[in-house]
Amino acid sequence: MKINFFLIVLIFFAVLAISLFLGPTPINPLALDGTTREILINIRAPRIAVAVLMGMALGASGAVLQGILRNPLADPYILGISSGASLAAAIGIIGGVTIFGTFSIPVFAFAGAVLTGGIVGVMGWKRGGLWPERLLLAGVGLSFLFSALLMLIMSVSRDEGIRRAMLWIFGDLSMSDWERVPYGVLFVFGGVAISLWRAKALNALILGDEFAHSLGFAPQTERVLLFISVGLMTAASVSLGGMIGFIGLLIPHIARFFIGSDNRLLVPASALGGGALLCAADLIARSALPPMELPAGIITAIIGSPYFLYLLRRKNVLSV
Amino acid sequence: MSSASKPMILELIDACFSYGKNGHVVDNLAFSVGEGEFIGLLGANGSGKSTILKLGSGILKPSAGKIMLWGKQLQSYRNKDRAKLISYLPQTLDISVPFTIRELVGMGLYPYDIPPAITPDEALDMVGLTDKADAHITDLSGGEKRRTFIAMTLLQGAGLLLLDEPLANLDIKYQIELVRLLRTLRGQRNISVVMALHDINIGLQFDKVMLIKNGGILGFGRPEDVLTESSITDAFDIEVKILRQTDGKAYVSYQENYRKWQGMQK
Repeated sequence: MKINFFLIVLIFFAVLAISLFLGPTPINPLALDGTTREILINIRAPRIAVAVLMGMALGASGAVLQGILRNPLADPYILGISSGASLAAAIGIIGGVTIFGTFSIPVFAFAGAVLTGGIVGVMGWKRGGLWPERLLLAGVGLSFLFSALLMLIMSVSRDEGIRRAMLWIFGDLSMSDWERVPYGVLFVFGGVAISLWRAKALNALILGDEFAHSLGFAPQTERVLLFISVGLMTAASVSLGGMIGFIGLLIPHIARFFIGSDNRLLVPASALGGGALLCAADLIARSALPPMELPAGIITAIIGSPYFLYLLRRKNVLSV
Repeated sequence: MSSASKPMILELIDACFSYGKNGHVVDNLAFSVGEGEFIGLLGANGSGKSTILKLGSGILKPSAGKIMLWGKQLQSYRNKDRAKLISYLPQTLDISVPFTIRELVGMGLYPYDIPPAITPDEALDMVGLTDKADAHITDLSGGEKRRTFIAMTLLQGAGLLLLDEPLANLDIKYQIELVRLLRTLRGQRNISVVMALHDINIGLQFDKVMLIKNGGILGFGRPEDVLTESSITDAFDIEVKILRQTDGKAYVSYQENYRKWQGMQK
């Protein structure tokens, strides 16, 4: 298992290096000139950083969420956080909001995500704690509501902003720049750090609250902490570049296949796997049909799903 | 059995609890568990056995009364410190994530910064699962799952084990071996065990049994005093005969007909 984890780390850095130097125009790192240096530092590197951060956030939060909800079908979007973020972002785009400059849309998305996470948390709260089934149902319910509102806004609006909003919702990394990276690093690494810190408690929660209690954890406190970390990671991810499917749901299952179910390894492995996959998908998205760029979310699903289905035919990817 | 001579580990002092308005209730429960004691909880479904174990482990907080662990209020312990003293094994083991047996058993060490004397492999050996160490929990039978969690509980190394129906899903061989193993551990580490039981005959082998009905204690003490034909009929609503083997050991013979059934035939 440890060897497999080391391999994942290796693959992660290999993918990073490849996406930095390959692309529509390959760049030789040993022979940089002014133009290529500019492309590398100001176009590719920030885009890769954003892709990695988003992928890490989705992979790690998927693993954590499947644990705290005790449900292998949970993903970061199931809690409605992304729908809330998309709705807020679309309102911002169509309303032409510019109060925060280039940060306006990410700020709207982040606020929408955090607000939605808060509402889901309140709805999932009963008898002094968060209950997995309530969280799940509240998230699904809100998700439908926000998606419907988003559709409503889009169908009545005649604004040119609609196309941009649509691009945003399907995941758009082409707007990436260094400005967004620091807060992404803050929330994503913060969330991963909290999840790692509480990884033993997460393992125990998977067995059920009574086991967690018996093993010396306070199940409700742990669940709230982990829920907050998932909320922040998902919010950061959606506000960095919209919604990317597949990673949050399936990367944890793929990672589990290689390194087992212990969250002390699973959470970092899912983060690295998610980061590597989105980075690779984005490389393909921008170099497959130049000068056209495909949405990276489409590529993650097209390369990820068949691989996942192949693994599913083998034992123990899912528990069934 | 002079319980006063042994130090009390767990004491329930007039503990009350109810699940909502119409839920099950335990009322003014008062009993204590001494060091090295084996106590079997017997009672019909819904009589309050699980509730008593959950109160004792701190999972449920009493609505009135007190629960003391080594003379200190149970709720005043830090979670990790309590976990080194009490281990609770729930009745339902519903795990959907494919942890390996070794990973699961190893969780018994979570309360510790410095691992206690026994290792995960030794715990696996005690329950006869050494050859399944790398198997996934989701691939095991009900009885093997139960033994996995018993190994985790043993590794946790607490002096007081509160076990909710630990013999459920176990073959008769493993039922006997588990009870034997717990007795051995009592010899080695002076552990105390409180376990909910289904089988009255197993209860007869315990030092003490508690017979429970509707959240109250019908009887608590030596099995031969507590488990009489009339008290068993009262608790379980069945007719039984208590028979004696040539060596004097008692066992319960269940009658086929329920009282009500007999009444209806008449």
